[in-house]
Amino acid sequence: MRAFVVAADIITPYGTGVDSCWNGLIANKTAIQTVTRFDTRAFQSPYAGIVSGLTYRQGASLVMQMLTILFQRAANVVPRDAKFLLATTKGEIDYLETYILEHRGDPAESIPLRLLKKVAGLSGIDDEGVIISSACTSSSAAVARAAAMIRSGSTDCALVAACDSVTEFIYSGFSSLMALDSVPARPFDKNRAGLNVGEAAGIALLMSEERARREERPVLGEIAGWGLSDDANHMTGPCRRSEGLVLAINKAFVSAKITSDDIGFIGAHGTGTGYNDEMELRGFRKVFGNRELPVYSIKGGIGHTMGAAGLVETIIALRALREKTAPPTVNLQTPDDNARGWVSNSPQRFGSGTKALVTNAGFSGVNTALVLA
Amino acid sequence: MPDSAVLIPRWCLRETTMTISISGIGWINTEGFGRLKSSKEYKYRSGENIQQLPKHEIFSHPFKNFGRMDTISRVTACAAALALKDAGVEASQENKTDTAIIGTSSEGSLRSDLDYFQDYVQGGRTLSRANLFIYTLPSSPLGEAAIHLGCTGPLLFVSEQKSVFPKMIDMAEEMLLYGEADAVLVGRAEQDAGMYMVLKKSDRAGETFCTLEETRSILSTEADVNFLIHKFTLLRNRKVGS
Repeated sequence: MRAFVVAADIITPYGTGVDSCWNGLIANKTAIQTVTRFDTRAFQSPYAGIVSGLTYRQGASLVMQMLTILFQRAANVVPRDAKFLLATTKGEIDYLETYILEHRGDPAESIPLRLLKKVAGLSGIDDEGVIISSACTSSSAAVARAAAMIRSGSTDCALVAACDSVTEFIYSGFSSLMALDSVPARPFDKNRAGLNVGEAAGIALLMSEERARREERPVLGEIAGWGLSDDANHMTGPCRRSEGLVLAINKAFVSAKITSDDIGFIGAHGTGTGYNDEMELRGFRKVFGNRELPVYSIKGGIGHTMGAAGLVETIIALRALREKTAPPTVNLQTPDDNARGWVSNSPQRFGSGTKALVTNAGFSGVNTALVLA
Repeated sequence: MPDSAVLIPRWCLRETTMTISISGIGWINTEGFGRLKSSKEYKYRSGENIQQLPKHEIFSHPFKNFGRMDTISRVTACAAALALKDAGVEASQENKTDTAIIGTSSEGSLRSDLDYFQDYVQGGRTLSRANLFIYTLPSSPLGEAAIHLGCTGPLLFVSEQKSVFPKMIDMAEEMLLYGEADAVLVGRAEQDAGMYMVLKKSDRAGETFCTLEETRSILSTEADVNFLIHKFTLLRNRKVGS
């Protein structure tokens, strides 16, 4: 059975809704800004992708604030019988910060299961749901699992939600890894020097073809195939030979019953770190040979939204498919030598190939590849 | 030539006649560790415990950085290694296999989160330690196991309100059905105990420890890890006796 995306919404540093993110990217404007939520003077960078209007360490967690808005907007869209998958890396980690810094609350409130219960309640669906966490591939892995459930016939409707936020906990951690760029991130740029963390939340409703047709749902696109892999190489560094990413992509092609010729563009992970972008470009060359096709990253626009990245990037790639335009790689000035002919700071029309490839990677060497149609 | 053409004939999309079963189970707790199908059990000797393990009894090759890992990562790596050994899977960095890991724990990375952030705050909120930060993901213990055991398949931390094992078994079954992995490690690790099992397509007599139906029946009554080890041990003893 085919798995279609019939509804999707996001909150990103550009604002609420897919349009605001898409329009910001197409305009080649970054939403990355200096952080005022906590003191960044001790860190490598003052920059992050921040969603405006959220309150920090007061009342609801950052991710719950974002998800509450999304589920209010999705009222009457999500059927009660949908299966529910929630993807996150650190969920409500701001509760643990409050406990340690202000001696208030319960650190166990930051456990993903507690968040799952709250979000399942917000969603209005009967299923208690499941947490999927796989570092920065969490939500693309959740999309893959949701599509697998529909393909296998175990359900005909699944809701994927994803979220992560910019907190002192996460920021200090990435800084300790020397992973942050001191200026807004420049994925695939020759002078890139790291990533900016970002925050976002997203939801996507997947349905079988038959149910989508029966309910006359608008089809935003299809999750046509997926591949998941692990480098089995290093906890924080990607594989130097890119074989994990290549394995994931090839699995996705098999799953979608396509070849590389069917791909029109690539929505890459593109964090802006030297190692990640190099690994991805090498992997793409191995899969696509000398064929040049549009490759972009949206992380110069919104930062690296961690567990939410895969879902946000999938939703943007579905929009790109519909518009027949790959968005610019925001902040790109001088393409890396290995990226020339692939990346651009202008929107790119794509010629041959009718499908999109979305790739993500993360700590522990995880990789995901989704084929969208 | 692009690599993509190379792998395409490798998998069938769905093998409806395929049988999936449990081909090995490994466990570790405060008393010792063992492998169920092989009926191998090791009781800790003087000076040994879940923190001070005789690693050579568990791993077939030296485990770099084992002492650096948090407790859940150690428990995960041990249980996963024992499960693979029980299933007869040669697993190492040099001999990578397309094995997936789907794992859970009751608290995720809570203890490592507390360790990391307390250390950061005690240090004046200026510097933090990367070697603590890397264990603040619920999936990090699975990553350490994947690296040491050369598992290149999907890697997922999964959690839900009630018993999560049936959901993890469903996911593993789908991964095997769709050729996403050749084998899947499914399990749970806590501070004081862990158990992992290997799911594989079974095509040879003697490979199977128990069927999916038997497994689902035991896992539907899931209490803690030690209870599950006990239930699977009873099942093993019943099979040996019959």
